[in-house]
Amino acid sequence: MESKNQPMLQAIDLSKRYEDGHLALDNLNLTVETGQVYAMLGGNGAGKTTAINLFLNFIEPTTGQAVVDGIVTHEEPLKAKERIAYVSENVMLYPNFTALQNVDFFVKLGGKTKYTKEDYRKVLLRVGLQEEAHDRRLKGFSKGMRQKCGIAIAILKDAKAILLDEPTSGLDPKAAFEFIHLLNTLREEGKAILMSTHDIFRAKEVADIVGIMNLGKLVMQRTKDELVGEDLEKLYVEFMAGYMDEVA
Amino acid sequence: MLRLLIEKELRDIIGSTKFTTTFAVCAILILLAFYVGARNYQVSMNEFEAARSENLRQMEELTNWNEVDHRIFLEPQPLAALVSGISNDIGRTVDVETRGELSSENSRFNEDPIFAVFRFLDLQFIFTVVLSLFAILFGFDAINGEKERGTLRLSFANSVPRDKYILGKLVGSFLALVIPLLLAVLVGFLLLVVMGIPMDGGLWARLGLIVLSGLMYFGVFLTLSVFISTLTEHSSTSFLLLLVAWIFAVLIIPRTAVLLSGRAVDVPSMDQINYEKATLENELWDQDRKQMSEFWRSNPPSENESREESMARFRRFMSELADAREEEQQKLAEQLNENRRNREFVQQKLALNIARVSPTASFALASSDLAGTSLELKQRFVESANLYQQTYATFVNEKTGGMGGGWWSRMNSDEEADPIDPYELPVYEYVEPETSEFINGALPDMALLMVFNLLFFAGAFVRFLKYDVR
Ligand SMILES: Nc1ncnc2c1ncn2[C@@H]1O[C@H](COP(=O)(O)OP(=O)(O)OP(=O)(O)O)[C@@H](O)[C@H]1O
Ligand SMILES: [Mg+2]
Repeated sequence: MESKNQPMLQAIDLSKRYEDGHLALDNLNLTVETGQVYAMLGGNGAGKTTAINLFLNFIEPTTGQAVVDGIVTHEEPLKAKERIAYVSENVMLYPNFTALQNVDFFVKLGGKTKYTKEDYRKVLLRVGLQEEAHDRRLKGFSKGMRQKCGIAIAILKDAKAILLDEPTSGLDPKAAFEFIHLLNTLREEGKAILMSTHDIFRAKEVADIVGIMNLGKLVMQRTKDELVGEDLEKLYVEFMAGYMDEVA
Repeated sequence: MLRLLIEKELRDIIGSTKFTTTFAVCAILILLAFYVGARNYQVSMNEFEAARSENLRQMEELTNWNEVDHRIFLEPQPLAALVSGISNDIGRTVDVETRGELSSENSRFNEDPIFAVFRFLDLQFIFTVVLSLFAILFGFDAINGEKERGTLRLSFANSVPRDKYILGKLVGSFLALVIPLLLAVLVGFLLLVVMGIPMDGGLWARLGLIVLSGLMYFGVFLTLSVFISTLTEHSSTSFLLLLVAWIFAVLIIPRTAVLLSGRAVDVPSMDQINYEKATLENELWDQDRKQMSEFWRSNPPSENESREESMARFRRFMSELADAREEEQQKLAEQLNENRRNREFVQQKLALNIARVSPTASFALASSDLAGTSLELKQRFVESANLYQQTYATFVNEKTGGMGGGWWSRMNSDEEADPIDPYELPVYEYVEPETSEFINGALPDMALLMVFNLLFFAGAFVRFLKYDVR
């Protein structure tokens, strides 16, 4: 069992300037420890996806490091990715495969080969995908149904760190509510979770730490305790506005 | 891991409706090619037999071997029905004379319109045109399509080495497409057996190699498609690029090669050659006519010579003149033909070498070499006909006591004789070269196809190592 204070996910002076010269991430520093949920808030184009992509080594950092369980991702990407599960903003799977076939493929790709079909079904049910959909081809799935499959795949990978890019986008209210419940369970299992979201209300409810990003910078970061009694929505607007003033 | 990726590719491709429909079309075409090929062979074989016996039958009433109008025919070859090559475009009939130049004529014994229509539907056509498109259809979005679908990022959120992924992609999609095609081809093989096409070990080996080079050709388009899909962002772009590449490889380059080599190397036309021959013939005739008219003046019949004897003398003289004339004509003809053949050879070689820029040409050449229907077929046939001419001439000379050939002896032949027995004629048989000779001829082009495969494979591989998977 890892100690609670060892960072599982860590961004150290992490910056990304795209080829077109746009500085999408500006000197990001954040830490997510085992058993913690970190919620990144921020408007469109704030740099949340960029940060997550850096953890996955989809892009190379311009400066700084993204570290997973002590492993610098751009130095040893394969080793780092063994420790990460990931749900994208818009989960896309193979349209010709059934839900189970998709889950089977991606979970095996993640290195977990011991599961049975029943294990898959259990997790799919747990994320709210009704039984009759399990053997249907993905072709006819709604965005939310695909999202649920993606979440199931991430759970089944059973990685120490979980990266979630707007995981609840497309989920119906009931599924979104259950997802929060699921996050709590995963936290209890000792996962370190970094999540980007636009859902201020849920972020406050579930996150141990909330960060607000704007124009590639982390402009505010508060722990759950610090947020007690605060109106996060108001803070969000204030920080965004305040930052805008600063820029102006 | 590699196995998982290959299995996924197999399932992804074979499970798609796109595959079901297009494969059904391909399979039907392949089977049709085998069926039509086999039927074609049977029909041509019957026509060949009929033409041969008809020729002999026509001789039955004759009494003089000099009146015989003997024709020999190129026997249909089983593989030619599958890879027709030039077999439909060369003369398959030769009028054998005891002397003089032989030339082949008639592209078929009999033009059957149905088969003329379906002629294009041989195995080679299916591979060059249909299967190359089939490869493009399943390869054009191999990588960029996964990116567009978002499955690439999800895959690479895992600890997946890129080399394994692209290898799994290439191998998996090749197997997924080739295994079903091979099944169709195997059924086609069975069809040949069932329809009683006489296939021996050598023919099977050559047919197997034709299919193998077909698969290599298929592989060229598949690896090219995957390569292009790693070079482009959108699958619509790669599809367009591949179509353009296809049009160049299949339609434009081979034709351009012929045009270019035609410009680069001049070959005297048949008309030119015939004109020169005719000029010489006229000159010789003029000289001979002079000699003929002077014959009696310079060689008057002596007193003690009977009329028959002097006529015989004259006949001998005429015959000698004719021989000399013919010899000279032959010499010129050989010279002209040799020159033309050489130029033609240079031109063809150049055309083929330019065309080899396109794998389509390499495949066409390899498969027709293997089927025995390459340009060499014509040469082989003419050579074997020339060989036969010698046998035939000896035979006729024996039968006629040296009075063979020429209109002269025919006109003056002895009036009373028994009918000849045409079945005494030496039988002409076209003997195919050794199997190894066909295979050796095809090896360079098969190697070229392999090089194309490796080139595009390596291109796709290297490109993907740096590919933006987001
Ligand atoms: N490949 C790229 N090349 C250039 N600029 C890019 C690229 N990808 C993203 N950007 C820019 O980087 C900035 C941050 O983008 P990012 O996707 O990280 O935002 P985000 O916080 O995830 O936004 P959203 O909430 O809309 O998902 C944006 O201004 C975007 O235009
Ligand atoms: Mg985003």
